[in-house]
Parts: sequence; structure tokens; C-alpha cells
Amino acid sequence: MSTPIENNEKEQAYWSYVKRQFKKNKRALFSFYIVCFLAFIALFADVLANEKPLYCSYKGNTYFPVFREYGVMMGFAKWPPDLRNIDWLNTKFDAVVRAPIPYSPTTLDPFNSGFVSPFGKQDVTSTRWRHWLGTENIGRDILASLIHGTRIALTVGLVSMSIATIIGILLGALAGFFGDNRIKISRASVIMLLIGLFFAYFYGFSARSFTMSEAFSLSLLKGFLQFSFSILIFIAVLGGFYLLGFVLKIIPFFKTKVAIPLDIIVQRLTEIFLSIPRLFLILAIVAIAKPGIFLVMAVIGFTSWTGISSFIRAELLKVRNLEFIEAAEALGYSRWRILFKHAIPNALSPVLIAVAFGIASAILVESFLSFIGLGIPAEVLTWGKLLALSRGGKSQLWVAIFPGLAIFLTVTVFNLIGEGLTDALDPRQKK
Amino acid sequence: MAGFFLFVILFICVFLRNMFKYILKRILIFIPTLLVISLLTFLLSVSVPGDPVEQMLSSASENGGKNVLASEQAYIDKRKNLGLDLPVFYFSLSNKATPKNLHEIPKKLHRENLEVFINKYGNWNEINSYYQSVKQLEIAVSHIDKDSSNADALIAVKDNLYKLYINHDDATLTSAKKNIQKNIQIASLQSISAPFQNTVAAYTAMKTKATTWKNSIPSIHWYGSQNQYHQWITKFFKGDFGISYQDQRPVKTVIWDALRWTLMLSLISMFITYLISIPLGVYSGAHKGSRFDKTTTTILFLLYSLPSFWVATLLIMFLGGGDFLGWFPAYGVGTDAIDDSMNIFQVAGVRMYYLFLPLVCFIYPSLAFISRQMRGAMINTLSQDYIRTARAKGLDEKTVLWKHAIKNSLLPIITLFASIFPLAISGAVTLEIIFSIPGMGKTVVEAIFSRNYPIVYTVVMFSAILTLVGNLVADILYALVDPRISFSKK
Repeated sequence: MSTPIENNEKEQAYWSYVKRQFKKNKRALFSFYIVCFLAFIALFADVLANEKPLYCSYKGNTYFPVFREYGVMMGFAKWPPDLRNIDWLNTKFDAVVRAPIPYSPTTLDPFNSGFVSPFGKQDVTSTRWRHWLGTENIGRDILASLIHGTRIALTVGLVSMSIATIIGILLGALAGFFGDNRIKISRASVIMLLIGLFFAYFYGFSARSFTMSEAFSLSLLKGFLQFSFSILIFIAVLGGFYLLGFVLKIIPFFKTKVAIPLDIIVQRLTEIFLSIPRLFLILAIVAIAKPGIFLVMAVIGFTSWTGISSFIRAELLKVRNLEFIEAAEALGYSRWRILFKHAIPNALSPVLIAVAFGIASAILVESFLSFIGLGIPAEVLTWGKLLALSRGGKSQLWVAIFPGLAIFLTVTVFNLIGEGLTDALDPRQKK
Repeated sequence: MAGFFLFVILFICVFLRNMFKYILKRILIFIPTLLVISLLTFLLSVSVPGDPVEQMLSSASENGGKNVLASEQAYIDKRKNLGLDLPVFYFSLSNKATPKNLHEIPKKLHRENLEVFINKYGNWNEINSYYQSVKQLEIAVSHIDKDSSNADALIAVKDNLYKLYINHDDATLTSAKKNIQKNIQIASLQSISAPFQNTVAAYTAMKTKATTWKNSIPSIHWYGSQNQYHQWITKFFKGDFGISYQDQRPVKTVIWDALRWTLMLSLISMFITYLISIPLGVYSGAHKGSRFDKTTTTILFLLYSLPSFWVATLLIMFLGGGDFLGWFPAYGVGTDAIDDSMNIFQVAGVRMYYLFLPLVCFIYPSLAFISRQMRGAMINTLSQDYIRTARAKGLDEKTVLWKHAIKNSLLPIITLFASIFPLAISGAVTLEIIFSIPGMGKTVVEAIFSRNYPIVYTVVMFSAILTLVGNLVADILYALVDPRISFSKK
């Protein structure tokens, strides 16, 4: 029998072992560094490519426009009147330090519009202003768009896979750990919960649908607040009915416990999601709703949890019979505590593999969606949209090659990391 | 023929009782899964914004709006024709303020606006009389003869009338009404003055007699089997998939036309893929670590990660016209290039010429994927004891590889084969759109955009059925190939 402390030590040993195995894989390690590099670009995209100077001195005042913009966005700061409608590119500042790429993805360069090649002559004052990767149709700088596109691609990958991971772990763990007959609740609770579900849905969502849609049309934040409020009402009503169930238990018939076939339910749910072609589902939802990056992330997340959940389920089927779980049970810990503190942490490693591959596929789906012009709002330039711009009659090689390379590189490195993790976590290599 | 099937079934019953039981159980499980999927698709289509009836009518004729009553009748007929006049589902979960027969309001936009009114004021009687008064006003307006003196005013009145139908916030409605009032005075449209006063009065009544408390009492309305979902699903299982909203063709023919292309593409590409990837996988798996293995593994991995829509774009750019090599046509399937005088080989030649680039894009990702799977399975099998035994008893390497090892390493490939079914129906959406091949993927995406529900429903249901059947077939094949897997419970 292992005490929690020993268990913890073992865990550390296990993770350092995995780390060592992963580091042995040169390709995976290199890919990991590239991901770090991409993350760096994504984080500092505003500093790397921006039409606003990093620092400028104008009419005797000193400004840090790039950083001030964060303040303006969050509502702390305001633009001084001098700078409000300023033409950042052509104004003569007293002193100025510009970003390495002095263009934003939204900057239009009228002198270099209409697909200016990166190799040919450009109508710029000096090499400092050169469009290193050329421009697209209306004169936006490709490199600046690529840099800011990194942020969108990585965010989509991360957020959507976080959603998928949470759903997947929760469902997979419930199915794997409790199986079909380990969770038993009284008939009273089942009945009350079913009735409660009806009322909770009514008061939480049905009766509030108008309020919610009004709030969503005002702003995303307000809508989200109303939505969370609805969820709170839902949980409160459901909880109330559950408590009512205790009263019902006085009658012996209702006291009898029945098993909840969690495994069957989750398995069917997985089957349903696997049976509908994922891209159709995503396309259908995205075509209905208003375009937005969050929507794309949410939709991808809600449709890609099946792999993670089956990984976790399979792992927990093994873990739940191990000695340390028995030990925890013998110590009298509650089952939920055992599940969340002992069982799930020991089953997480294969999830990492699914997440790595999942990020790659999420980025691919997002670029495809923006490639066909869906989901992402018109003013946001993504890799996929840039690639789509090349699909005009004329040959704009650079508009096709660079965004495509960016997608390819990102997808490949995440796939390679997934590969590396698969090898590192493979118990057969332990010998 | 029937006798043969009966014999097969009897055979299965007697000799493979366990398997039969297993299949039966699986098929029984299909039913709830399919029902949930059908519900999900249905729910998605119902929540799509926009009105399919309006869309069809506006595409059919341009003379709408001349006679209000006639165009409304046309709308109602069309709606009935499409079966959209029925309630959506067996029951509706709503509140006490919402009437049971709300679905009888024909126009979708009006209905949605009325729902908001119900949410705001909760007094259906007043809301309905307001709605009817607006309708009366519209009819009265349509009776006015247009002449040069009142033309502008009439247009303004009609515009604002339209606003009354689809808006719910007080400010917009008030300004619309003010505008109508003003135009009535300007052009002295006496005949609509009385109906307009009615409308104003009805609106005030609706606002003052609000009974919002009714909104917080839940109620369930039961409609029975006369509903859109029931009609659709029963017809679906009878094999009647409805007609396409867009071109009025039966869904069956639309889908069959599209399926031919997708099936052809996926069968040809699968054949070529397996032809190349199995030997490749076996060879590199058997020579693990060799230079050949390392290079192919790397190349295949890179191929696997190459986004196919990028490759397609580049191929079109370089080989399909543009400023580079115009070797292949960039779009379409060459229907224009084919005439009746050609024989079958010439037709096939033209088709292949057009489908070459799409096929390349179809093949390379699955080629990479299947070779990798094959290689992995081969490595796994070659480390088994029985392979060592085979080698120890002196069999030559070729026999070991192609006779003993390949049998077991083909197992995972079988599962992959089962996934071809659903792939065939959903098609490669990406490539079909880029190369504009009229296959399933393109058809469905277009149907999604044009709210052509019958096609979306049918395709999603079919791909779900095929996935389920494909998985079942894969499991059965698995068990037939590998005797260790049994159907009876452990």
C-alpha cells in the first residue's frame, strides 16, 4: 500500500522519466522549441508588427502608443487629442522608435497595393519600410498579418482544446471510473432530478431566452454574464429539486437505489458525435451563428472531446482497479475525492497526446474555415484568409506560400510533439 | 435470392449464435443513437435564421407585393406545400402566455417578432389584436390607388408598416407610427386613417394590459404526430427524402448525382492508396531503422501534416493555368469537354485529365496515414514470439514477412477500411470546394448555406448510419480475422 506522499514521489519520478524520454526525441524537442517561438510571436505580436511606434515624442510630449493601446482597450487610458486621429505612418515625430515591422495587419499601404512582390521593386522610402513578404490586394503587409495571425491560430488551438479537454476528462472519467453500476442514487432523486431538469431549463433558459439574446446583441460580455446567470439559476433550481427528493424518500418505494448507467450514456454520446461528420457539424453551426473567433473556438472545442474522453475512460478502467485506489477507499475517502485527487491525475498522461494532436487539427479546421470565408469576422486577417486571397486569377505566389507555410509548420510541430509524447509515454519502451 | 438470404440468416443463427446476438444488440443500440442524431440535425435546421419559404418565393417570382392578399395566399400555399405549417415537434415547452397555435401565424419573421412581444407583455389576446390591426392596415393600404400625388407617401407608409411587423422596441415602433401619421396627413390618405387609429389603440392596449407574470409559469403544449419532425422521420424511413428546396428536384436524385462523383473519387484514391501504402509500410516496418525507412517516415510525416487545401491551391497555381504551367484544368470535372460522339474510353480520358489534380490531393494524406499505420503494425507484429519461432525453424525472411507477419499486421488496416463508408458520403469537403467537383461535400455545404434542409438532413442521417454500420462491420471483420476476439461476454 502506498501512502499519498509516496504516491506523489512516484508521480514526480514518472514525470521526470517522461521528460527524459521526450528530450531524447530530437525532433519532438526541436518542435517544442518552435512552439515556444510561435508562442513568443503570438504574445508579442503587437510589439513586433505595429504601425504605432513603440515610443514617440510628439509636440513635446512622450508617448508609448503600443502600450497605451492596451490601456485604451481595457478602458484605463484615453488617447490624447493630438494622437486620436493621427496618421501613424506618415506623421513626422520628434523622436520615434518603431516596431521591427512598422505595419499593423490593418494598415493599408496605398503605394504598394495590388499584390506587390517581396522580390521586386517596392514603392517605399527605405528598406526600413520594405514589405519583406510582399503585400496583398489592398496593400496590407503580409508579414504583419502573419505575425498577428499566429496569435489567432494559437489561441484557437489552445482555447478550443481546453474546452475539449475539460469536457473530455469529465465525461471520460465519469464513464471509466463509475462504469454502469457504481453510482447509485435513490428513485426519489432520479424522479426529482428529471422533474427538476424541466423546471431548471424553463427558468434558467426558456424564460430568459429573450433577456439573453438582448444582452448578447449588446455586447459579448453582457451576454456572457446573463448566460452565466442562467446557468446559476439552472443549478439552483436543480439543486432545490434534488433536496426535495430527500422528503420523498420517506416512502420506501422511492428509497430503493438504482444504478445510473453512466458508461452507456457517455459511450452513446461519443458515438453520436463520431457519427455526424465533424466538419458538417462545425459548418452548420458556424453558418447559423454570427461570425466571431470565440464561436469558432467553442464549436471546435465542443466537437472534438471524443478522443480525449475515450483515452481517459480507457485509462481509468485500468486505474480504478489499482491498489492505491483501493487504499484510498479503505481510508474512507469519498469517491469524488478519490476520482478527482487520485484517479484522474494518474490517468492524465495519454490525454497530453490527444491534446497535442487536437491542437494541430483545431488550427487546421480554423484555417480551413477562414479559407472558405466562414466564422472569423471580416476585419480579422488569419492565415487561412491570407491563403484564400491568393485564389485570384493572377499568380500571387507569396500570398499562397507564406501563410500556407505558417499553417504547415504549426500543424507539423504539434503533430511531432504528439508523436514524441506517444513514444515517451509508451510503457513498452520502459524496458 | 430470398431463399439464399434466409439460409445465410439461418446459418448465422445456428452456428454463430453469439455473433448473431452481438449484432442484434448492436443494431438495437443504433436506434436511439440515430434518433438522437436526427433530433440534433433537426434542431440545428430549425434554429437557422431566415425563412426558407420567403427565399423560395423570392427566387420564383419577382412580382410580389402587388396584391397583399394574393401574395400572402401564395406564401401560405408554399408553406403548406413544404410541410412547414405544422408545429415543429410533438410538444412545445413554453409558458402560459404563449398560445398553443402560434405556429399558425404563417410568416416566420412575424412569428418571431410576436414571440418577443409575448416575452415582453405576456398578453396574447392584446398582442394578437395588435397584429391583426396591422394586417388590416396593410390591406387598407394596398387598396389605395397609386397616383403621382401620393406615390412617395405610399412608399413611406409601406416601409414603416413593414417596420411594425418585425420590430419590437418601443422607440422604433413609435417613430414608425409617427412617420405613418405624418404621411397620412401629407397625402391625405383618409381611407387608412381609421385602421391606423385602430393599430395605435391596439398597441397602447397591449402595452398597458401587460400580464408578464404569465411568462413565468411553464406549460407544455402537446401536438401529437401532426408535426414537422414526425412527418420527416417517418417519410425518411419509408425512403422518401423530400424535394430539394432550391431546384425542386427530389433529394434522392440530387444526392445520387453528387454521390457518384464522391464515390468514384474515393474508390479510385483508396485503391491507389492501398496499392502503394501497404507494400511501403510493410517494407519500411521490416527494415526499421534503415535509411530507406528513415527517409520514407520523414517524408510521409511531412505529407501527413501538409494541409490539403494549401497543396490544392499551390497545385492549381503551378499546374492549373495561371502564369506557370497550364498542364491541367484547375476547376470542374470536364462536363463541357465531353460530347456524345466520344466513346467510353475517351470520356474516361477526359475525366481523368480533369480529376488528376484532385486525385493527387485526395491520395497523399491517406497514403501517408495508412503507410504509417501499416509500418507501426508491422513493427509490432515482428516483435511477437511466433515470428521468432518462424525464423527459428528456418523459414526464409520473405515467407515470414509476407505470409506470417502480414496477416496480423493487417488488422488495424481493417478498421480503417470501415471508415471509408462514411468518408465516401461526407466527401472531402475541402477539395470538392476548391476544385469545384459536384460531389457530396460541395452539395452539402451549399445546402447548409442556402438552408436547403431536406438535403442536409438526409446526408447527415446517411453518413451517421454508414458510420455506425461501418464500425459494426469493422468489429465483425476483426473477430473473423482474429479468433482471440470473442463476441460473448467475458
